[in-house]
Amino acid sequence: MTERIISCSDALAEALAEEMERDETIFILGEDITAHDGIFGQFKGLYKRFPEKIIDSPISETCIIGAGVGAALTGMRPLVDMHFADFFTTAMDEIANQAAKIRYMFGGQAKIPLVIWAPDGGGLSAAAQHSQSLESWFIHTPGLKVVVPSEPADVKGLIKTSIRDDDPVIFFQHKRLFSQNGPVPEGEYFIPLGKGDIKREGNDITLITYSRMVYLSLEAADQLAKEGIDVEVIDLRTLKPFDFDLIAESVKKTFHALIVHEACLTGGFGAEIAARIGEELFDYLDAPVVRVGAKDTPIPFSPVLEKFVLPQINDIVEGVKKVLNS
Amino acid sequence: MIELKIPKLGLTMEDAKLLSWQCRSGDEVKKDQTIFIIETDKVTFEVTAPTDGIIHPVAKTGETYDVDQTVGYLAENREEYESLLKNYPADMPTHERIDETKEEVVTKREETPPGPAESEKRIKASPLARSMASSHGLNLAEIKGTGPGGRIIREDILGTLKGKEAVGEQEEILPKAVDKDFLGKEPLETIPITGIRRVIYDNMYMSLSQTAQLTLHTEAKGEAFVDFRDRLNKRLVKEEIKFSYNVILVKIVATALRMHPKINASIEGDEIKIWQQIHIGVAMESEDALVVPVIRNPDLKSLNEINRELNELIIKTRENKLLPDDLANGTFTISNLGFADVDFFTPILRPPESAILGVGRIVRKPGIKNGHVIPEAMIGLSLTFDHRIIDGAPGARFLKTVKDMIEAPVLMIV
Repeated sequence: MTERIISCSDALAEALAEEMERDETIFILGEDITAHDGIFGQFKGLYKRFPEKIIDSPISETCIIGAGVGAALTGMRPLVDMHFADFFTTAMDEIANQAAKIRYMFGGQAKIPLVIWAPDGGGLSAAAQHSQSLESWFIHTPGLKVVVPSEPADVKGLIKTSIRDDDPVIFFQHKRLFSQNGPVPEGEYFIPLGKGDIKREGNDITLITYSRMVYLSLEAADQLAKEGIDVEVIDLRTLKPFDFDLIAESVKKTFHALIVHEACLTGGFGAEIAARIGEELFDYLDAPVVRVGAKDTPIPFSPVLEKFVLPQINDIVEGVKKVLNS
Repeated sequence: MIELKIPKLGLTMEDAKLLSWQCRSGDEVKKDQTIFIIETDKVTFEVTAPTDGIIHPVAKTGETYDVDQTVGYLAENREEYESLLKNYPADMPTHERIDETKEEVVTKREETPPGPAESEKRIKASPLARSMASSHGLNLAEIKGTGPGGRIIREDILGTLKGKEAVGEQEEILPKAVDKDFLGKEPLETIPITGIRRVIYDNMYMSLSQTAQLTLHTEAKGEAFVDFRDRLNKRLVKEEIKFSYNVILVKIVATALRMHPKINASIEGDEIKIWQQIHIGVAMESEDALVVPVIRNPDLKSLNEINRELNELIIKTRENKLLPDDLANGTFTISNLGFADVDFFTPILRPPESAILGVGRIVRKPGIKNGHVIPEAMIGLSLTFDHRIIDGAPGARFLKTVKDMIEAPVLMIV
């Protein structure tokens, strides 16, 4: 299969176009998406191609998600745009109490093939209400699936799988990664939910991460390689379900594990991974599992402070060394 | 799914101690591969996998389990294994092996009591290092940790293993380079008294402290005995097993016991039990300890039968495959130290048996015949018996009968 280099935004738009071409029940609902192709240009060209399928909504997340849930119940496959993941708060009942639960409360007679698309993450000096990483809220709500891709190729393969999934999927894309370029295969392909990917092979330590932290981790790994430390970087790609088998295989090889995520440390998904490693891979550990995450504070507006709060490459390097004690 | 149970190794066996697991949960094992080791009060026994599969041990080592009690499972495939994991959680860390138990013993022995608080005694080691140490039989107490806070990590175990390899076998046997003027003493090796050694330890002490042992010595002329064996062996066709002196001794002793039934006895409570059956144990050296497998009713068997059975027991001993039934219910023991040029000794009774015959080497000594000194093959005999129930005279008479039969094996058929 040949590949070309395109951005995460282009990969998303391409995937959506392919899916909308194929299935007329797919439509996109969100704020200001007809005039601007989405706030980050992520729906570029779609309005021109599918004018009836791109629908502007009122400025109300309650309405957007509520409409999405309703449409999904009636047989459509909506993708709703959250604009910023931070706005989930005003639509939490629609997500956590409706979308996540309807299939179960109706004994499987109803399904919600809804994708909630949400740009998350910091690093843009967008302050506390526009910079959060909220994946843990949804992981902790049974009934939802959670996707957190990093590479353009993964964005394309995973959004297509998510759209075809009959359950609600929260699809996060990091705001700093829209312009991130990468090779994307030509032609149709799918990436199953719950399959991680080894972005860099190594023998000394397993670094488990996802979303933007994949790139920072890869850079940290490059730095560490100069010191003779061979880091294996696992990109989980989806958090619910998540690929524990891949982690296990790697830890059984390296005997050390570090988890890196941008979300704040306390109660973050890293805690879940660390717990599973402790429970299931105890005999393979040569050192305690360490986590690197944001400090437990609202993300500051000040670029200097924001950098201080969010994990940086150096924090990851230090994290690796803490595990390896070198 | 196959349940792995404590096997019944013989009629007399009721339970066994699970000494160690030879594999970890999730390991793929092959048919006939040793998967765990058990110990009864008489033997240790390696239990093998009944078929290929994925193993899931659940029972803790160091504990005693009844015969037929399930100690683990063997799954056909991964899927089944996963469900086993869920349905039958292990009662133990999967890496636990006997080595760790030994380790504790050793550690405790080497520390001067009263030691520091319990928490300080704990050796810091990563889970991986612990599991590696246990599977390589390393003592964590002897390894220096280089991890944070002195934690023993994988590196340290690898270093220790490398060191051991480098040192090689010769060094292992020779004492470490010792300072000539060193006044203290250091153990070259510390061996915990467990398993079969513990059984021997307790039994020997119990024997000498709770019975009244008397040993009588005599010498038998050996020419006829040697000649008897030579004739038997000459008659053999190639495939048959040669007769050893022990085979003939078993038969002689059994015949003598028939004539002196009160020697074939035990004390049970306030009573003396004279046994109807004669079961004669022959002391043998197994890999690491003394074992005494038993020939059943040799008084009723031909020399050929005794020869075959004794040979089977020798092979089982050598291969460490003796079962509890092979060792149970002896009524008399023969211990032969002739191979080591011993003439006489004072064998120790094996209660509840009341007598044991020690046999020395066959050696030519000056004898007197018709007023002339001539060389004569002699065999030293030492009979120890429990003087509480066997008086000196009957004991001596029994020994005389044995001596007479050795000197004239033809008496066996009288």
